[in-house]
Amino acid sequence: MFKLLKIISKAGEATEKYPFAPYPVSPGFRGKPELIAEQCIACAACVVACPPNALSMHTDTAAGTRTWALNLGRCIFCARCEEVCPTQAISLSPDFELAVGSKADLLQQASFSLSHCVRCDTAFAPSKEIDYALALLQQGGLPESQLAAARAELSTCPECKRKLALAALEPAQHLRAQTGARA
Amino acid sequence: MNGPLPSTMNFAPRDADGMPVPITESEHSAQLKRSLLKDIQRSAYVYRVDCGGCNGCEIEIFAAITPIFDAERFGIKVVASPRHADILLFTGAVTRAMRMPAIRAYHAAPDPKIVVSYGACGCSGGIFHDLYCVWGGTDKIVPVDVYIPGCPPTPAATIHGFAVALGLLDQKLKASHHQQAENEQATLPHKAVALDIRVLIESEARRMAGYRHGTLIADSFMALMAESSDVRDFDARVVQHLRQEEDPRLAEIFKRLQSVCETPGVRT
Amino acid sequence: MNMSATREAKTGQNYLLALREQFPHAVLDEAWQTADQVTITVKPDSLPDVVAWLYYEQGGWLSVLFGNDERSLNGNFAVYYVLSMEGVIKSWIVVKVLVDPLRQEYPSVTPKVPAAVWGEREVRDMYGLRAVGLPDERRLVLPDDWPEDLHPLRKDTMGYNQRPAPTADTETYQFVNEGGESRVVPLGPLHITSDEPGHFRLFVDGEDIVDADYRMFYVHRGMEKLAETRMDYDQVAFLADRVCGICGFTHSVAYATSVENALGIVVPPRAQAIRTIFLEVERLHSHLLNLGLASHFVGFDTGFMQFFRVREKAMTMAELLTGARKTYGMNLIGGVRRDILKDERRKTLKLIAELRAEITPLVDMLLATPNFKQRTQGIGRLDPKVARDFSPAGPLVRASGFARDIRHDHPYVGYAEPALSNLPFSLHSEESCDVLARVLIRVREFYDSLAMIEYSLDNLPEGPILIEGFSYTPHAFALGFAEAPRGEDIHWSMLGDNQKLYRWRCRAPTYANWPPLRYMLRGNTVSDAPLIVASIDPCYSCTDRVTLVDVNKGKSTTVPYKEIERYGRERTDSPLRRR
Repeated sequence: MFKLLKIISKAGEATEKYPFAPYPVSPGFRGKPELIAEQCIACAACVVACPPNALSMHTDTAAGTRTWALNLGRCIFCARCEEVCPTQAISLSPDFELAVGSKADLLQQASFSLSHCVRCDTAFAPSKEIDYALALLQQGGLPESQLAAARAELSTCPECKRKLALAALEPAQHLRAQTGARA
Repeated sequence: MNGPLPSTMNFAPRDADGMPVPITESEHSAQLKRSLLKDIQRSAYVYRVDCGGCNGCEIEIFAAITPIFDAERFGIKVVASPRHADILLFTGAVTRAMRMPAIRAYHAAPDPKIVVSYGACGCSGGIFHDLYCVWGGTDKIVPVDVYIPGCPPTPAATIHGFAVALGLLDQKLKASHHQQAENEQATLPHKAVALDIRVLIESEARRMAGYRHGTLIADSFMALMAESSDVRDFDARVVQHLRQEEDPRLAEIFKRLQSVCETPGVRT
Repeated sequence: MNMSATREAKTGQNYLLALREQFPHAVLDEAWQTADQVTITVKPDSLPDVVAWLYYEQGGWLSVLFGNDERSLNGNFAVYYVLSMEGVIKSWIVVKVLVDPLRQEYPSVTPKVPAAVWGEREVRDMYGLRAVGLPDERRLVLPDDWPEDLHPLRKDTMGYNQRPAPTADTETYQFVNEGGESRVVPLGPLHITSDEPGHFRLFVDGEDIVDADYRMFYVHRGMEKLAETRMDYDQVAFLADRVCGICGFTHSVAYATSVENALGIVVPPRAQAIRTIFLEVERLHSHLLNLGLASHFVGFDTGFMQFFRVREKAMTMAELLTGARKTYGMNLIGGVRRDILKDERRKTLKLIAELRAEITPLVDMLLATPNFKQRTQGIGRLDPKVARDFSPAGPLVRASGFARDIRHDHPYVGYAEPALSNLPFSLHSEESCDVLARVLIRVREFYDSLAMIEYSLDNLPEGPILIEGFSYTPHAFALGFAEAPRGEDIHWSMLGDNQKLYRWRCRAPTYANWPPLRYMLRGNTVSDAPLIVASIDPCYSCTDRVTLVDVNKGKSTTVPYKEIERYGRERTDSPLRRR
């Protein structure tokens, strides 16, 4: 009994002051994922990595937009999004005060515009992603003279690229067929 | 409680296909609740309804009522029976087996009652949201007043959530929707460092120190590179930086990063 | 830990040689997954005898058993019995039997080895395969409102997200009483003390428990199916974290190592050491939780609050090292996601010193409290014979005279790391088989954990914490395992051919610790029931309201669980007598 009283008196007032004073978390605490939308290129790497599907992306080709969405109610705060993000656009902040009365407030969204294919005018890839890829190529040493060709390449949708590639193949196949016939 | 149930359609409603739908709150009890929240003067009693959680949430609730966080400061007390409860705290993604026990607990609590959905599983089903043996969150069976996200929510987040539920604090989080601005562009990091070198540094730093420390270390390493006029200057800056930090592990990682820069493409 | 175990020494070969001698025609196939993991396919007829012989004659313990739908691989279903061989030579033997897809039957092992009972019931639920001769054919895992004849883990029955309409709004499970005429005390599934819902029936004669039965799996969510479908195999590490809210990191280590074993991945030493540190941090907060609850259940609530106050230091340590109080999300296949730098190391060592200084007087005080000893000594005895029959795990089995601990028997991660060769780990066991013995073991393990964290922090190897660039071998499989605070987590993973798993089986220790519980409750009084249940540290005590049923009069009344718990603490004014 005496031992217990000693422990109690030694412990004193142990309670944290929170919420009347801020509650400091450890450095590197994994709280609310914060997207710096300006830095996001809508590549969807985070969406693919997210284990609970808290992140999603919806592409609306008619409106020419791609919308990134984070459902904080489903997030497990694992920071896989932060780990795979190629542009450091998303990271987990120390913020843990996330309780809401309305479920709608758990939804964080960001919409990005899609670039239209230079050949068929279909909306197909986020314009920021194309710009970023070009900037990377430039930084990687792509000469100024090839820039325009690279931009045209990146601004062509996969469908048109496939058609172009097939068209390029055709004469060769024709030739090969002829040689085959002669042999 | 395993006896015959009250007419099950009102008690545990289902749709035309026999699938469970949430219980709807009557206007009368909603009104009662509004007036309760407006002038709540007494302490609030909480009953926990575990609808198939992993225990993570349950233990953090425990932590929130024990000395360090002590939710009882605010008169919040965990009680043994839903009959005594003002607040029902639902955790878990609502497994099939817990649907009826949870609904019984809901009906057992007197009106007006505040329903709090706790943790990622309670708020939306969490990582289990679409599985065959869960219904995917508290609001699939009962009306919810407050959602506390987290996996699990920390005790501090729990206290914040209780304060929001009782109207003592305003919620901080709001829905947001960013629209891409004209000329909005993502910036390339560390422009002064050649792309292939940057990629090598970043991946080596992650391999050595993980995604978080790795990013911080690679950033500080490349910042030193950018500041340096030449290799000798850089080496001097690294030595000084490491002397300041006094961390042998950091020194080891920096050494690795330096060797990666010297022999691009070659991993040790 | 190597795929090409063919040319190396195979650990456990001795058991197979003896087995072939004993049962000359039983073994159809033998395949080695690692240097000490072998899978043997046996004839269905000899299955019970082979498992029983390995179990009782050769020092085997049944760690887990599970089914697998291999119709697309070899035309059959399969059932696997995983035996941890703990004789002089330590190894793993997995006994596999192929089950004809039309007959869907195989002979039950349970009559010979009682430890197989839950596993065979689960195989029935999930695959519809019948163990012929199984004495208990009730449902185990699937809820009462689940349709008959819909077996979720068959590859061709249903999508992982298909939700059949509930067949009932009432519980239909039949509880079993072997104790003769008695009163019935149901507990659960919801309750105050915490946690995982479960429904108990205590069959009592006056104050004495004559038998007990329980319905668990109120939390069955369908994780194993999820791991085969929606998720990639690398995402499953984050799912494994959420098997259990207390020992989540242990599960993700068991999962990650199962895949690493299957693919022959050699994880860097530093990563293995960091895993060990996180594992022991988890043991710290889990054991403190259990010590707190032990105080609570003997009516010593001040002690409970003091243990929880100090326990927060362990939670802070977890937050500091991993960024979350639950050590969640730290494992990847091939390593860990976070390094330990100077600051974390310094602060952790400080917290260790504080924990040691604060817990020592608390424990002294608890053990010196006369009431505590009186309430725990000789209570909830797990007879060593029952323990041997049911293969329980963790402090529960160690308190009944069996010194078995995966960290010792099958060292893994840092426990097998040469760089940590002097890790201050010791194996604790007790002979008195009661609640007190389990508490004492946890106390000693707590101090060991402190010492192991200190030692590992001081001896962290250099080098990377993650290995990448390994190749994915379709349909490779192996076991992974880790000692959680309450016993061993065993995972078995078989890779698919699409960056996913073909089958994931995960067994938490409590799965092995529930079946012997009824024997531990028998002969004790009702007031000791919550304490005994808590002493197995199930992800833990699982009870709520209590119904007292007088079988003779066919009358029943309901009293709140709180009342039973109060009675457990105060031991006056029995709710049974009051009627």
